[in-house]
Amino acid sequence: MSILEEISTLLQQGRAPKVKELVAQAIEEGISPKEVLEEGLLSGMSIIGEKFKNNEVYVPEVLIAARAMNAGVEILKPYLVSQGIEAKGLVVLGTVKGDLHDIGKNLVKMMMEGKGLKVVDLGVDVSAESFVEAAKEYNADIIACSALLTTTMGEMKEVVEKVKASGLGNSVKVMVGGAPVTQSFCESIGADYYTSDAASASDVALKVCVG
Amino acid sequence: MNNRERALAILNYQDYDRLPVVHFGFWNETLIKWFNEGHLEEEEAKKWTDGNTFDKTISKKLGFDFNWYSCYTSAYGLFPGFKSEIVETLNDGTEKVRNGNGVIVLRKKNAGSIPAEVDHLLKDRESWEKYYLPKLIYSDNRINFEYLNSIKNADNRETPLGLHCGSLFGEIRNWLGLEGSSYLLVDDEDLYDEIINVVGELSYNLVKNILATGAKFDFGHFWEDICFKNGPLVIPSVFDKKVGPHYKRITDLLKANDINIISLDCDGLIDSLIPTWFENGVNTMFPIEVGTWGANIRPWREKYGKELRGVGGMDKKVFAYDYKAIDLEIERLKPLIDLGGYIPCPDHRIAPDAKWENVQYYCEQMHKMFT
Repeated sequence: MSILEEISTLLQQGRAPKVKELVAQAIEEGISPKEVLEEGLLSGMSIIGEKFKNNEVYVPEVLIAARAMNAGVEILKPYLVSQGIEAKGLVVLGTVKGDLHDIGKNLVKMMMEGKGLKVVDLGVDVSAESFVEAAKEYNADIIACSALLTTTMGEMKEVVEKVKASGLGNSVKVMVGGAPVTQSFCESIGADYYTSDAASASDVALKVCVG
Repeated sequence: MNNRERALAILNYQDYDRLPVVHFGFWNETLIKWFNEGHLEEEEAKKWTDGNTFDKTISKKLGFDFNWYSCYTSAYGLFPGFKSEIVETLNDGTEKVRNGNGVIVLRKKNAGSIPAEVDHLLKDRESWEKYYLPKLIYSDNRINFEYLNSIKNADNRETPLGLHCGSLFGEIRNWLGLEGSSYLLVDDEDLYDEIINVVGELSYNLVKNILATGAKFDFGHFWEDICFKNGPLVIPSVFDKKVGPHYKRITDLLKANDINIISLDCDGLIDSLIPTWFENGVNTMFPIEVGTWGANIRPWREKYGKELRGVGGMDKKVFAYDYKAIDLEIERLKPLIDLGGYIPCPDHRIAPDAKWENVQYYCEQMHKMFT
């Protein structure tokens, strides 16, 4: 097994200290940081994402794999920066105004990062204005909104309208998701994409960003 | 028949005269809204809890027969709980509060529902032994023996009364957080096991000592809340291995005391956890959250047979719409009621978007259709 395959396997098992160690070793052995990122870390996370989508692994396994990935990324970061390797796209993510739930949002964040996207997490109870301001500030490709409650999902419409009014409509896509959200709701408010789970959200986001 | 007899007859597949129309309580914001609209007295809106006097008067005004979630609950968790205190107030008025579980949560002025978790006191063995373990020791002070003495005769009871047997993992998840509980499994499995075993042992001892008083209950009840829209927040095989035996031990004890209906409250998509609950003695799923995943009792009944019962599964979202939506929902429920062993109930607390007249209409129609 190559060292990159080993990194991918250990990441899937959530063994963060070992992943960190092998990432450092791979760099020392002269493997390019981009290769370590894509064929080691992102490959492992991508496998976990697929398994999660197919109910072969569960939330705790995703969380420990994401922690292992972050441990590896921390080692890689200076190398990636010095070589000018950029993220594949930028997503502004948050739970909408009036809603404090964040489990779904956090899963989406992990999955998107696992696809090599940069995620700016605005947290919970995020107003439509804050989504738009952050999208402008970070030059985002996507605004991704989460809601758990039927009483707060209406805020997503506000986000869509504020994006349109801001003139960002051509450059920023709005994705929506969360327990009460459906494809028909997405269409009714004029959002661009609905996905039913975190892994699918990351697949769609990657497609939006890299085509 | 009274409502207790009706409910127990349905869940035991016996003859009954009519279907009781039950609910699972309300969000506090809903009651405040209904008070502001003139439907409720201030005391009802502000002092309501499951099964208390105000619960009964609100139920009557709306047309419900009773609140299913009426249980005797001992102090099954941290005892005493942590003192709730504000640890910081942010510029926008948001408060960081340490709650009774020792968790720091954000309390926002404009946001309802469950506060967001910011930090957890329980992180490792040191914090477990220092702060949590001492609060999880059995003591008679956790039990209200005076109340238990008053419920030794169930025959004159009008509505069913449950014995709340606690939470064998949901509370642990609250103390550690979702991430913390996931990480602990790989970082320190011995501690993970120890926490589960301490909570399981405490719950068992509470149930044993409560039942030893001779108090009579109509059903046993657990709470977990460890699922979300796409499945469990735990690994089912791990849950089965580590938590399952504690379920078995407690449900065996309930059955030995003639309590044959054992329900469990868990929201979200619960299908992956039903096997372990069912095999370990839980036979009544509650509140069968319909959600966007369309949960209902039929596929479970087909898979597990008549031993699996249910209370819940009425899509409460229709309370926000109109009479037509309510009629359609009742139509959807009809064949499920015909399966037997099933009592429809709003699939969670009634939310603030519910219109008073819609809830009343639902109760009226349910009484008309199923009497």
